[in-house]
Amino acid sequence: MDLSLTDEQKVRKQEFDDTCKELEKKKPPSFVGFETIYEVDECWEYNLYCAKEFAKKGWLALGWPPEYAGKGDMMDRVLFAEARGYYGIPGVDIFGVQMLAPTLLQAASEEIKREFLPPIARGEVMWCELWSEPNAGSDLASLSTTAIKKGDEYIINGQKTWNTGAHKADWGFGVFKTDPTARKHHNITFLLHDMKTPGITVRPIPYLDGHAPYAEVYFDDVHVPAKNIVGQEHEGWAVVNLLAGFERSGINEIMSMIRGLEQLVTFCNETKRHGQLLAKNPLVRNRLAELACELEAARALAYRVADLQNRNEMSLMDASAGKIFFSELGERFAFLATDILGPYGQVKTSRWAPLDGLWEKMFHEHFITTVSMGTNEIQRNIIAWYGLGLPRMR
Amino acid sequence: MDLRFTETQEILKKMARDFLTTECPKTLVRKLEQSEEGYSPELWKKMAELGWMGLIIPEEYGGMGYTFQDLVVLLEEIGRNILPGPLIATIANTFPILEAGTEEQKKELLPKIAQGELIFTTALLEGDGVFDASGIAVKATPKGDDFIINGTKLFVEMAHVANYILCVTRTKDGTSPEKGITLFIVDSTTPGISCEVMPTTAADKLCEVRFKDVNVPKKNMLGKIDEGWPIVEMLLRKGAIAKCAESIGAIETCVEMTVAYSKERVQYERPIGAFQALQHIMADMWTAMETSRYLVYEAAWMESEGLPCAKEASMAKAYVNEVYKNLSKWAVRVHGAIATSADHDIPLYYRRSKAADIAFGGTDFHREIVAQKIGLV
Ligand SMILES: Cc1cc2nc3c(=O)[nH]c(=O)nc-3n(C[C@H](O)[C@H](O)[C@H](O)COP(=O)(O)OP(=O)(O)OC[C@H]3O[C@@H](n4cnc5c(N)ncnc54)[C@H](O)[C@@H]3O)c2cc1C
Repeated sequence: MDLSLTDEQKVRKQEFDDTCKELEKKKPPSFVGFETIYEVDECWEYNLYCAKEFAKKGWLALGWPPEYAGKGDMMDRVLFAEARGYYGIPGVDIFGVQMLAPTLLQAASEEIKREFLPPIARGEVMWCELWSEPNAGSDLASLSTTAIKKGDEYIINGQKTWNTGAHKADWGFGVFKTDPTARKHHNITFLLHDMKTPGITVRPIPYLDGHAPYAEVYFDDVHVPAKNIVGQEHEGWAVVNLLAGFERSGINEIMSMIRGLEQLVTFCNETKRHGQLLAKNPLVRNRLAELACELEAARALAYRVADLQNRNEMSLMDASAGKIFFSELGERFAFLATDILGPYGQVKTSRWAPLDGLWEKMFHEHFITTVSMGTNEIQRNIIAWYGLGLPRMR
Repeated sequence: MDLRFTETQEILKKMARDFLTTECPKTLVRKLEQSEEGYSPELWKKMAELGWMGLIIPEEYGGMGYTFQDLVVLLEEIGRNILPGPLIATIANTFPILEAGTEEQKKELLPKIAQGELIFTTALLEGDGVFDASGIAVKATPKGDDFIINGTKLFVEMAHVANYILCVTRTKDGTSPEKGITLFIVDSTTPGISCEVMPTTAADKLCEVRFKDVNVPKKNMLGKIDEGWPIVEMLLRKGAIAKCAESIGAIETCVEMTVAYSKERVQYERPIGAFQALQHIMADMWTAMETSRYLVYEAAWMESEGLPCAKEASMAKAYVNEVYKNLSKWAVRVHGAIATSADHDIPLYYRRSKAADIAFGGTDFHREIVAQKIGLV
């Protein structure tokens, strides 16, 4: 067991931290939490700006092989995610950089890699994920949007939904039914397409707080070049599983909670209620300490997942456990923080809102991590079935 | 970063597992719970031959010279199997001797501990039952070359069989409770000491120890006069991590037994493990185990490297305390009635979860340390 960083890693960590700290100074006031990049125009601009800054340093291609202009290794990716999480800096497209790029590296043809990886590394093209449909959520393989091959094109018809940032993205990666006659899991193809292709209509959906982080996407005879395929035709399910493994490790979110805790502690040290500092209230102390313990446990498990990934020993179980734990910790934290803030816990970003209204925002945002990326119930199924070997539900 | 065990640790782990499986079956565990001594002198000797009491004692004092991390690996196996007796109490006392003992004390005591010749325990808690210095009222008063100890200690593990008791006393009423605490290594055969075993959840032989005009030579003082509290804090910190390691092993057994049983037990024509209501409970048990494990490894690694880790040790203890109790409770619930019977092994773990919670500081005690360490004023 050794959790230490090498001297080289320490130097790079410092560089990641310094850069993010600098970028933090340029944050627009409306930026409260990562999701605001999709919701507020100036935050999207800030996201693009940060992406360009990171691209200049080669940090959008961390861990990629050198032949695709890659830099550093998986551990650098972890350290970079920590810095971004702590300072709350966007600019790393979760769909393009974090999910699609590693998937392309493993599953795409040389031609596709050469075409799509460089613009991702340059921070030029932003992506969205077009998977869910009104009638295909957890049971994604029951999707019904079709892509029928005609010559050297696919013609797509149907509807996707809940697509985060689809109203901002340049390109989308989606899964479509390409063989309506074949059996489930062997009738789906993974395709890449320009969001400006004629026939695509994007309608933002208001989230429960009124902002729109996601959208629904309609396909009406949309022509996509047949070459834009990842993996084998009709075998897109394998690509889906591969990509799902690259979804967020939680390090970002955990570091941002660690920052949130630090700020909340400062708030409690400075704010009086009932004539005494909140920090002196035994109940507040106990509950914050409990949360701090859980946060450290979440971080320790995230390192475990990272350590496995660094050695290409992905453990499905640990990744699922980590996802369940950090996302439900996010729920508990949002409830606790808004509790401690009392009536101010309900005030949105404004002159009345303590801590920039972050916790009011988090009171809504925690569903993003519990419901998306495979619901926590699905993660529990994964642990039970594939990890513990319990009989699979029929 | 590499979170795997080293090769030495893998060997230690396997050796310990094999040894305990043969030498300490659950029949023996139950027998020892009922017995007066609460440990097996025969088994104690065999463990001494394996070097367990001296695992982290440096070779110059007759020990094996392993690291604190290695100890964690051993304790995990002990927790898995359950090992009644004064092993952890004894090992825990080597921490203060190593860190605060004089050369003479080290030379005198450590080789004997490593040989398995001495059973050691710590007398900390008193009537208040609190782990901070405000709870210490047992008095030590100087008299010539000796100190005279008077008062009653409680919850002293295995004191009834211990050769030495590390007694935390008050030598001065200082400005703050932490000032004026002094530690003494007390020979348990000294006249004036009496001992009574308390009936407890885990039948782990916690004792009431009464000191009546007990003479202790000055040379048996551990550390400096009036300045003993930091030593106690160190003992609680290392002890907490050690206890967590033991709990991780126990937690792992509870998960394994529960999953295995759920695949065998059939109701409504299917194994109960096929019910999603139970699958998700077991998935949560597994998640709780993994978060606990890596939190404890982190603290153990820091302790091993000599990094300041009061915060991480307390985080681990506060967290694992609750995980162990809740997880072993769920282990009983998933089993159903069978695991409520004294003949079943799961209750052995469930009962120990309460003992593990209290040992080296309960949840709220450690949460308060965490509250301070995260910067609450
Ligand atoms: C904020 C947000 C952003 C999102 N972004 C995207 C995106 O960018 N791209 C995209 O394609 N999708 C996105 N999604 C959609 C997301 O992937 C789905 O919400 C998710 O897969 C669950 O599907 P569903 O919402 O239809 O719920 P359902 O699958 O209908 O589930 C409803 C309930 O039933 C439970 N359930 C379902 N099946 C089982 C089972 N087998 N065992 C036990 N319980 C079960 C679920 O856990 C849940 O509690 C997003 C969702 C949210 C909330």
